[in-house]
Amino acid sequence: MSTIPVFVLHGLAYASLLFLVSSGLTLVFGMMNVLNFAHAAFYMVGAYFSYSILQATGNFWLSLIVCPLLLFCIGALVERFLLRRVHAFGHVHELLLTFGLAYIMTELVKWIWGNYPLSVSIGSFLTGQVQLMGFTYPIYRLFIIFCAMMVGLLMSLTIYKTRVGIIVRAAVNDSEMLNALGINIPRVFMNVFAAGAALSGFAGVIAGPLLTTYPGMAGDILIDAFVVIVIGGFGSLGGALLASLIIGQLQSFGALLIPKLSLALIYMLMAAVLIIKPSGLFGEEQ
Amino acid sequence: MIGRTYTNVGLWGIFLFVVAVIIPLWFPPYQVTLVTEVIVFALYAVSYNLLLGYAGLLSFGHALFFGTGAYAAAVALNHIPGLSIFGAVVIAVIVTTVTGFVLGGLLLRHKGAYFALLTLAFNALFYAVATKWYSVTGGDDGLSVTRPDISLGIVDLNMSDITIFYYFTLIVVGLVILFSWYFTRTAMGRTVLLMRENEERMKFLGYNTNLSRLILFTFTGALAGFAGAFYSLFFQFTSISAISIDMTTTVLLMTFIGGTGSFTGPILGALVFTYLQDFLSDITDRWPIIMGLIFILMVLYVPGGLSGMLSSLKKRFGRGNYMGNHVEMEGQG
Amino acid sequence: MDPSRGILKMQDIYKDFSGLEVLTGVSFTVAENERHAVIGPNGAGKTTLFNIISGKYKPSAGSIIFRGEDVTKKPPHILSHLRISRSFQITNVFQELTVYENIRAGVRCRLGLRYHFFKTPDSMPEIRQKTEEILDQVGLTDVINEPASALSYGQQRALEIGITLSTEPELILLDEPTAGMTREETNEAIRMIDRVTQGRTLVIIEHDMEVVFSLSDTISVLHYGTILASGIPDDIRNDQRVKDAYLGEE
Repeated sequence: MSTIPVFVLHGLAYASLLFLVSSGLTLVFGMMNVLNFAHAAFYMVGAYFSYSILQATGNFWLSLIVCPLLLFCIGALVERFLLRRVHAFGHVHELLLTFGLAYIMTELVKWIWGNYPLSVSIGSFLTGQVQLMGFTYPIYRLFIIFCAMMVGLLMSLTIYKTRVGIIVRAAVNDSEMLNALGINIPRVFMNVFAAGAALSGFAGVIAGPLLTTYPGMAGDILIDAFVVIVIGGFGSLGGALLASLIIGQLQSFGALLIPKLSLALIYMLMAAVLIIKPSGLFGEEQ
Repeated sequence: MIGRTYTNVGLWGIFLFVVAVIIPLWFPPYQVTLVTEVIVFALYAVSYNLLLGYAGLLSFGHALFFGTGAYAAAVALNHIPGLSIFGAVVIAVIVTTVTGFVLGGLLLRHKGAYFALLTLAFNALFYAVATKWYSVTGGDDGLSVTRPDISLGIVDLNMSDITIFYYFTLIVVGLVILFSWYFTRTAMGRTVLLMRENEERMKFLGYNTNLSRLILFTFTGALAGFAGAFYSLFFQFTSISAISIDMTTTVLLMTFIGGTGSFTGPILGALVFTYLQDFLSDITDRWPIIMGLIFILMVLYVPGGLSGMLSSLKKRFGRGNYMGNHVEMEGQG
Repeated sequence: MDPSRGILKMQDIYKDFSGLEVLTGVSFTVAENERHAVIGPNGAGKTTLFNIISGKYKPSAGSIIFRGEDVTKKPPHILSHLRISRSFQITNVFQELTVYENIRAGVRCRLGLRYHFFKTPDSMPEIRQKTEEILDQVGLTDVINEPASALSYGQQRALEIGITLSTEPELILLDEPTAGMTREETNEAIRMIDRVTQGRTLVIIEHDMEVVFSLSDTISVLHYGTILASGIPDDIRNDQRVKDAYLGEE
């Protein structure tokens, strides 16, 4: 049955995208206790920016570099001028702000690019299939998996091996202590938030050609990213990784085996985790 | 003074009621339907604010109750021959109450952002179920609903008539909204408020705070389901939009723009939102952007919403000791 | 003192927080209507002890017996129904609500009006009556309609005690009720506490020795998580171990 490895790879490809999006989300939440509803909107904006750059220059590599940078700036601006302002009003207001942002960004996208799916063409290099152990598989999906692995590697190296990473981890665990050490906490927050946005935007760029680029894409991946975080546990990168892999495979095989129920399957898994281990696979006990 | 609060509310209530009663006499049917819609959404928003403003629980999934109520009523009317309009509403309330109880038991152990996230996820789940379960919900096609007439012995009330249905909504939904207001002054209502102020102390005073939260969550869900049932009856049609996240966004915007700090805030918000939407959608297709902008500006600069603005204006112009904060508005409670 | 006549028995209470041992074997008995002070240096574990008795934390080991019933694992609201009530070292009132409603909360809970959907809290006249009684007992009748946030520090501490009394407890736990008070305020507080704890059992954590010696029948000294000595005030005053460890440090 040569189709099984195909579906496994499909699952890995989707898991890659999910992981890229949910890792930023879980870090920001662990650090700032803010659940950023606009996170998926960053993903969407990344995809749309990429579409425009591709329309203008046809250069996918340019898009891969420029879009995350743009999203980094946007993320930094959002944190610095909007999020920080409502921090004083409390958690509810922070959530409402990110929610409102997501809403507006979606509407703006509809306004500028239209409320219908766009087809994103990336030129000839990454299209096409490759022979793998007895079956053919689209190169692009392998590219996605490869990107996610590289980014994941980069992230873990940064977080676990560099000074910057130590600061980030410390900020997730105990930001007051960091403050006492004289480190500029607001700057750290801003940078992590912006990095999360860039990561999300990057995911959007590579997702564009594969999944449909349309205004609803933010909502689609947001829910799945949330489910990943519930299952994996808040603030846990490892949990996000594992949960992404599980959900990726569920999506893939679910669509194959029980198409009608595949969506519900994921929610049922989430409900099951909620009942059995409410804090998620790797989350801390509340 | 309790007396003064009741008099204030009483006077306003009577004034508004009189206005509401004469609306069909002065305005064309389209305006009457608009007001009917406002009343239904006012209940929806009030139920949401009991959760957000009074209990401090931010939910991003309230439409799952609204939509469940809408579908329950529609399905009941379509499958139970001879079901009265009251029967449909009662069924909707029962179904949403059970839903609220089960869901609340599952979700309420989580707090803050986690809870908000879970409500969103479940809203998405309900939406997905509604979309796929064609045999019951009609999927993307939706369900059409006929309003059963009410027979009062001597006279039959034709519910298809815009004006009659308006008065029916005004009275029935109006009463429910009134009860919700009364609820904020009852023992349970005060318990909810106290819990938001200092949950820990409440535990030590002998209150089972988990139970209280569950009761409130179920209650607000039932209220939203009631509103949802009327939504179905009003549009004579139920579609997946009633249970969509967009529907949650709508009530969130209404409640917040109206102001979460008072009981009447969400009612004001429902009014403003409905009319603004009606007005703007004639001008531009992009009215959601304007709504979104208003919302964000309010989150940033006017967290008290319109009713908050009104009450600080009143304070500024020296109307005595009016405190727009609902905590104080209860007088000695 | 015959241990079997105690209404509250702490048996071998251990508590550690992820390896940090706070209580290492606390045992003592409080008799009915007794006034029992718990003293000890900061960090000795006194508030943790209260948190355990009142149900906020579960002990890592050991048990608590109240009126012969094992209440070790019971949650705070159940303990409140069993007539155990505690105050907080850091004032823990309902800041935005009136003094009246602060007290009424516990009163109406005791009278069963907790979750009623139709009755308003003041629909039972006993509720208003009892609330006003308590306000009178703690001396806050003048500020009955003020929001708690408008009260002076001393008044807030009185409100704190008032709320503790609102559930008609039989066992009252007061956690440093006179912390931060002036000499005058403290003396008034002593009189008030004396008044309101008549006919009830009191366990009080205090640093102010004057309060301790004027109010208590029995004193237990908590030192590094365990009871160093327990007995009548004179015995404690003269106990060498206590002098060395604690009183001598002043």
